[in-house]
Amino acid sequence: MVTELLSPLNIIIIALGAGFLLPLIHARSPRFAGQVMFASLLYFVIISAYHFYTLIGGAPAVEIITAGIQPPFAINLRFGLAEAFVLLAVNTAALFGARYMFDELREHASAMILFIVWIMGINGMVMTRDLFNLFIFVEITAVSSFVLVAMRANSIALSAGFKYVIAGTMASGFLLLGTMLLYYQTGTLNIDDLIIHQEMITGPFGTAALMLVLGAILVELKPFPANGWGLDVYQAAPAGIAALLSVGVSAAYLFALYKILPLLTSFLPVIAATGLLTFVASNFIGLRQSDPRRLLGYSSVGQLGLMVTALALLTKFSLTEYIPLVVGGLFISHFLAKAGLFWLAGIIKGSELGDWSQLRSKPVLIIAFLFLITALAGLPPFPTFWAKWQLVMSLMEYQQHGWVFFILLGSLLEVVYLFRWFGKAVSSQSDKALDISSSGNRQWLPVVLFVGLLLACGQVMASSFDLPVMALLPVYAGLLLMLIDGLGERLKQIASLLVIIAYSVYLIPSLDGLNWIFGLMLLPGSILILIASTYQQGTARPGFYPLFVMLVLSLGTLLAAETMLGFFLAWELMTVSSYLLVSLGKKATRPSLVYLVFSIAGAFLILFAFALIYAQTGSMQLSAIGQAGIVSNWPFILLLSGFFIKMGGLGVHVWLPDAYAECDDDFTAMMSSVVSKAGVFGLFVVGTQMTAQLNDMDTILTVVGWVGLIMALAGAIMAAMSEDIKHLLAYSSIGQLGYIVTTFAIANHTGWVAAMYLAVNHLLYKGLIFLAIAGVLYRVKTRYMYQMGGLIKNMPISFISVLIGIITISGVPPLLGFGGKWLLYNALLERGWYLQAGLAFFASAVAFLYLFKLIHTIFLGQRKSEHEHVKEAPLALLIPQITFMVLIMAFSMFPNILIQPLSDAVAPFMASTFTWEGYLLITENGYWNGFLVMNIVGVLFMAPAILLWLVSKKMKVQKVKQFNIVFAAERPFTPATTHYAYNFYAFYDKAIGFLTRPDATRFWNGVSEWGHTVGASLRRFYTGNGQTYAGLILFYIGVMYLAVRTL
Amino acid sequence: MFEFNLPLANIVLVTGFLLILSGLWAMFIHKNIIRMIIGFSLMDTGIHMIMVALGYITGGTAPIFDDAVDGMQMVDPVPSALVLTAIVIGLGVTAVMLSYAVKIHQAKNSLSIDDCAEQKW
Repeated sequence: MVTELLSPLNIIIIALGAGFLLPLIHARSPRFAGQVMFASLLYFVIISAYHFYTLIGGAPAVEIITAGIQPPFAINLRFGLAEAFVLLAVNTAALFGARYMFDELREHASAMILFIVWIMGINGMVMTRDLFNLFIFVEITAVSSFVLVAMRANSIALSAGFKYVIAGTMASGFLLLGTMLLYYQTGTLNIDDLIIHQEMITGPFGTAALMLVLGAILVELKPFPANGWGLDVYQAAPAGIAALLSVGVSAAYLFALYKILPLLTSFLPVIAATGLLTFVASNFIGLRQSDPRRLLGYSSVGQLGLMVTALALLTKFSLTEYIPLVVGGLFISHFLAKAGLFWLAGIIKGSELGDWSQLRSKPVLIIAFLFLITALAGLPPFPTFWAKWQLVMSLMEYQQHGWVFFILLGSLLEVVYLFRWFGKAVSSQSDKALDISSSGNRQWLPVVLFVGLLLACGQVMASSFDLPVMALLPVYAGLLLMLIDGLGERLKQIASLLVIIAYSVYLIPSLDGLNWIFGLMLLPGSILILIASTYQQGTARPGFYPLFVMLVLSLGTLLAAETMLGFFLAWELMTVSSYLLVSLGKKATRPSLVYLVFSIAGAFLILFAFALIYAQTGSMQLSAIGQAGIVSNWPFILLLSGFFIKMGGLGVHVWLPDAYAECDDDFTAMMSSVVSKAGVFGLFVVGTQMTAQLNDMDTILTVVGWVGLIMALAGAIMAAMSEDIKHLLAYSSIGQLGYIVTTFAIANHTGWVAAMYLAVNHLLYKGLIFLAIAGVLYRVKTRYMYQMGGLIKNMPISFISVLIGIITISGVPPLLGFGGKWLLYNALLERGWYLQAGLAFFASAVAFLYLFKLIHTIFLGQRKSEHEHVKEAPLALLIPQITFMVLIMAFSMFPNILIQPLSDAVAPFMASTFTWEGYLLITENGYWNGFLVMNIVGVLFMAPAILLWLVSKKMKVQKVKQFNIVFAAERPFTPATTHYAYNFYAFYDKAIGFLTRPDATRFWNGVSEWGHTVGASLRRFYTGNGQTYAGLILFYIGVMYLAVRTL
Repeated sequence: MFEFNLPLANIVLVTGFLLILSGLWAMFIHKNIIRMIIGFSLMDTGIHMIMVALGYITGGTAPIFDDAVDGMQMVDPVPSALVLTAIVIGLGVTAVMLSYAVKIHQAKNSLSIDDCAEQKW
């Protein structure tokens, strides 16, 4: 009884029955008619859900025989697991879609009929196993779509609808013709029968027949360039209809393609190529698009293209067991995200990307928007991420580098325009207000529900990979904290601190070796910076704490990762969360986007390298890096480049200064001191796995070594020429990471200890200085150093912080930095890199310029009158600073408590060359006693200081009012630029200033310009003319036919 | 002896293809929406003729089982049955297209396809 009630055939019976009854009921009671429609749609959902449930439990596919006759002599339908999956999704979307646009549907009984028959058509297309029957359902679906698209009968929708009609009728005409030709050759219309007897489809005639069927289905999947009509429809149709067109109807065609694919073995490369062309071209054009609805259209056709490619390639390489994971994952992401986005588009007024800022008035919706975008962009934890990972891995196993390259290129472009859109939504101001009161929750609640489903699907897909349980912990911790994001700042800070401390206590003991040291650096470092987060009293920081916790936890997962997937997952989570944190800055929209794009590009290099390694070794473990290194240097180079981008390596550093400068001041400390260390960690992951091969990589390592030093020098020069205090420190970070790169490339024991030592060093002093500067910026409200000065009286503790910080950076005794420089030169000499040692020395000397500028222009010299009453930085900032200073002092006093563990951690990979005698460290080239140096310098400094103090007690100093001579002459128009600190190093600028001109920025701007130009030329196809579009369809099918014939 | 052999089915087949081509041609060169719809009808009819022609056997009989008829000489009934469905669907599509024409004329006071190009790029 239950089986009969829940037979999938009932979907068609009920739809047809409702189609006849609805006008009758509607005439009596429109209200009841609506209920009948919902009841029918709900029944569709129940049927598909029931069968999905039983089928997933292992039940056999439901075969539906019609007319009591066995196939192939009668039409048969099938409801297997794949069908159930697709239809459960489609019917669920249809139910919510009907609710979403109920105001319009209930006006006319015919609209309700069309809607329900439309959904039935999609169900039929998915279920049927008969080619002619497929044509019938195609026509049913198409005719209903034609009418529904233009249901508002406005001019634009009618134009778009008519173009759709032309394209649709041409396609279905070809489908019919092809079906009949196939029947003529084989005598059957049954798809399974056709597949069995496919050898009967021969000659140009047979190819033409298959081409017509395939062409018809592909055209409906909107391939480039034959898809102009589709874009117009997405843009012009009512949002509810566009949503179901994009997800439901396309799903049906994709499924139809999946069904006939076994007939098309010789077509597979061409199908894959057309899909990939569509994916890449749409995403190029998306760069130019400013209308969100049309942008969704481009994204839709692009995603469909990718699914077609994945389907064709996996079939081509007989990897059909991955189709559910890859195509299913891409499909469900596209399905839920696109439906949600189209639904949101219907709520928002206006046709500019910036109009989406209306969503900010309802926080749950802007968060939902972010999730949907993230899901589309293929970032974790959403299904596309897993699907793309598997796709790339599988393709690489068959050495398909070209396909992978273009898939990643298209994905990167997608990230650019999707997150540019998000940036506009969070930064711009729309003059229109969001109005969702009239429709209650039925227009936005489904969006939130679909976001939940996306997360759930992502989790389900994650479980099919070999990952530790904690792999997605960062996401869930972030989500949990998001729930309390409405509470007070202090409360959220404490909660976040507790989470991070608990996580550290759990994680750090489980790590060992270098990972343990990185754990001890990154997690406590984050805690110190988080303590500062409440320094701006009374300022709410929505989203900060959940994202911060997600960032820290993903850093932790990165350290704990043992597989390449685990590493890549954590890396991407870290990228996403840090991007979002940067984007919280007031003017950070563009810098954060640039940061994200560079980071994702870097991540894709890493992914490509991992795929190469997997293809060579068949292993997913990180330890496979070493085995793969035996065969080729490419994984090594790609991985290094990926990490290099994260560290702001020279040439790819252009994201860094602005991202550091524009994010919240305390978060800059996090970016510079903690997040940049992820790149260093990446270097060591590769290095430690490849120690055996490093000896044979002399050329590469030499190049890397030079690059690091040039980075150090260029960073120092650019810092010296900066007027903006945060730019100065950002460039300084580039320079300091340059030393780490070089010492890493030295690849001996001293070198690696030096690299780790420099990393610890950098973490301490950059955390210290950036927090001190955060305090200064909070008090003086300007980032330009020539607008500061003389703040030593107002902010003595901050002054001491910066002083300690710059002494540490400069590498003079007695502080920590000296040890770093000492180890650096030792390692360089040991390696025999004498020229490099010279350059390193020169770069360090240049660093003095900016360090002097930093302390002098802010704290010394004359104080500005408006800064007379500036107070010391808030306590929240001082506590972590003092902690950092204590740590610096402790490590300076007793360097062995730092160097010993570092040396021990490096020793398993590089045999130790250190000898210890108490506090005395002896290397091949010399010895160093940090404790003694500290004491000597202490005495040397203290003696004159005491003397000076005594002398000053004796002398009478006449105090002069601050401005009593400065204004004796005429008052300048721009007093700031006559300040001595403005263009501080004008004389050096003349000599070496050309080095600081933004050539790299200009280059990358050129790349971006080029991308936009490509997009602009590609979209020349879309003239808006219906006949051109029809011509492109013919042209497309013709070219496909020729391609298949020649290949 | 030269025998000019042009079976009925081939005539229908060739005519069908010609109709498809002329229909497509009409859809491409005419700017008037009504003429484009006529072009579609021609194409559709062409497809229907091909369908019938493919199932036809020269000199065949009606596909009715009878002791007097050799099964091999029957005309294939399937295309004939399918073509009925196809004709009905074609009618429906034509109706939709015509109602589009009416609505477009109401909205734009023009029947030219060139006036339906508001959206581009």
